Amino acid sequence: MAAGVYGALMLLDDAFAALFSVAIWLAGGVLLHDFVLGPLAVAAGRLTPRLPSATRAPVVVAVIVLTAITLLAIPVLGRFGVSPGNPTLLDRNYWAGWSGIVALLAIGVILASVVRARRGHGVDPGR
Amino acid sequence: MKVRAPAESDFTSRLRSPAVAARVGVWLGVCFGVCFVTGLISHYGQAASQPVPFPTSPFWGYRLSQGLHVTSGIAAIPLLLVKLWTVYPLLFRPIPRQVRALALDLLEKGSIAVLVSAAIFQLVTGLANSTQWYPWSFSFRSTHYAMAWVVIGALVVHIAVKLPVIRDVLGGDIDETAHDRPEATEEGDLSRRGLVRTALFGSTLAVLATAGATVPWLRKVSVLGVTTGDGPGGVPINRTLTEAGIEEAAVGESFRLTVTYGDAEVVLSRDDLAAMTQHVVELPIACVEGWSASGTWGGVRMRDLLALVEAPTGRDVQVRSLQTRYAFGTSLLWSNFADDERTLLALELDGEPLSLDHGYPCRVIAPNRPGVRQTKWVERLEVL
Repeated sequence: MAAGVYGALMLLDDAFAALFSVAIWLAGGVLLHDFVLGPLAVAAGRLTPRLPSATRAPVVVAVIVLTAITLLAIPVLGRFGVSPGNPTLLDRNYWAGWSGIVALLAIGVILASVVRARRGHGVDPGR
Repeated sequence: MKVRAPAESDFTSRLRSPAVAARVGVWLGVCFGVCFVTGLISHYGQAASQPVPFPTSPFWGYRLSQGLHVTSGIAAIPLLLVKLWTVYPLLFRPIPRQVRALALDLLEKGSIAVLVSAAIFQLVTGLANSTQWYPWSFSFRSTHYAMAWVVIGALVVHIAVKLPVIRDVLGGDIDETAHDRPEATEEGDLSRRGLVRTALFGSTLAVLATAGATVPWLRKVSVLGVTTGDGPGGVPINRTLTEAGIEEAAVGESFRLTVTYGDAEVVLSRDDLAAMTQHVVELPIACVEGWSASGTWGGVRMRDLLALVEAPTGRDVQVRSLQTRYAFGTSLLWSNFADDERTLLALELDGEPLSLDHGYPCRVIAPNRPGVRQTKWVERLEVL
């Protein structure tokens, strides 16, 4: 009977470990958003007046997009799931790919800023 | 300088408005809807018991549904981030003092907390799983499935509660202020339309950057895709021989495949299998993690193998693998799959014998089947 109790305790232990893990992940995501991402976004928003006005909108778009892309790229950038004996998965140079996206967005920002400056956005502050 | 917690009234941007939240919310709802339905399909496809038989056609069905599942999840990430930004001030809404109002407020806050935490949970665990990363102590399959129901339930409650506002806000112009917080008047660097479009642009870019793992013509473009699609025979591998806990000697000369039906038993070596009539099929491996690739498989028709033990049609087959790790080492091949003429016990991929990691000497390949059920290193077929 002692063995049964011992086994049951181990199972409960497993179940608790699993449940605890779920709880951590449930709480962790929200907390990370509410207390890290949220404030960071507020802080970033306060910096845009320092930019030339024609660049503000393009930069904001690029930052929003790049933030989202970078967050979802974390697993592949870190290659946490890679298995040494299996070269067929996670088989790209992800930092190079991410840099390519950054470059693309940077070009977009430059082009959009030039167009906006020409259209007079540089003259009209705040828009 | 006195530091205090922010108040809801501190957030003055007119971009943080229900007009934006609802519009991004519609797209988010579509993504989660597609994710939920395709998730149910995938869960059912892996279920041990299938009262309604999973169909064998179209052969690309599971490839499409699982590709959609992971893609819609990824598309949801930029949308969710923007949506949460627009409603962030509500986190700091003052708590009412009156008991009744307080109870209602806690109820609403509680349901939102469930929705947000579960939604983030699904997207993050789904994303990690799609990259073979499992940094947690729970069983992904059962937990992700259970949480999906939590999200959908919380989402239905959310939409029901907000329906009047949603209707009003979507029916009018995006710049109307009827439902805005009084402090939300400051012009931003983007217009409201601009913010919604940015969210959609972010989603599109995310999809293009990742979907190439399952969509062949995006392979070159998807710089963040989990696989380029390269592998022996043009098909990537999920679990290697070693990972599956198999000794190389076990799949060597001494390997034998046993096919049984009741008392009838036939034992075959790889050479025996190769001597039987060979067929060639082009079928995809569609991994539950979302990537997929099509391969040209050569081998013995499953139906022909079952005929060796004089098994009638309409019988399920228990497939046993040599693998000692991971689930699905034993998998049921339902009768409609076993009898389908496209279902093979494959010996070759792309004209070459299967590589060790692809399941040498023989593996199951069938149409419209999750990758976990295309059993590798098959050593036993028991007709039930």
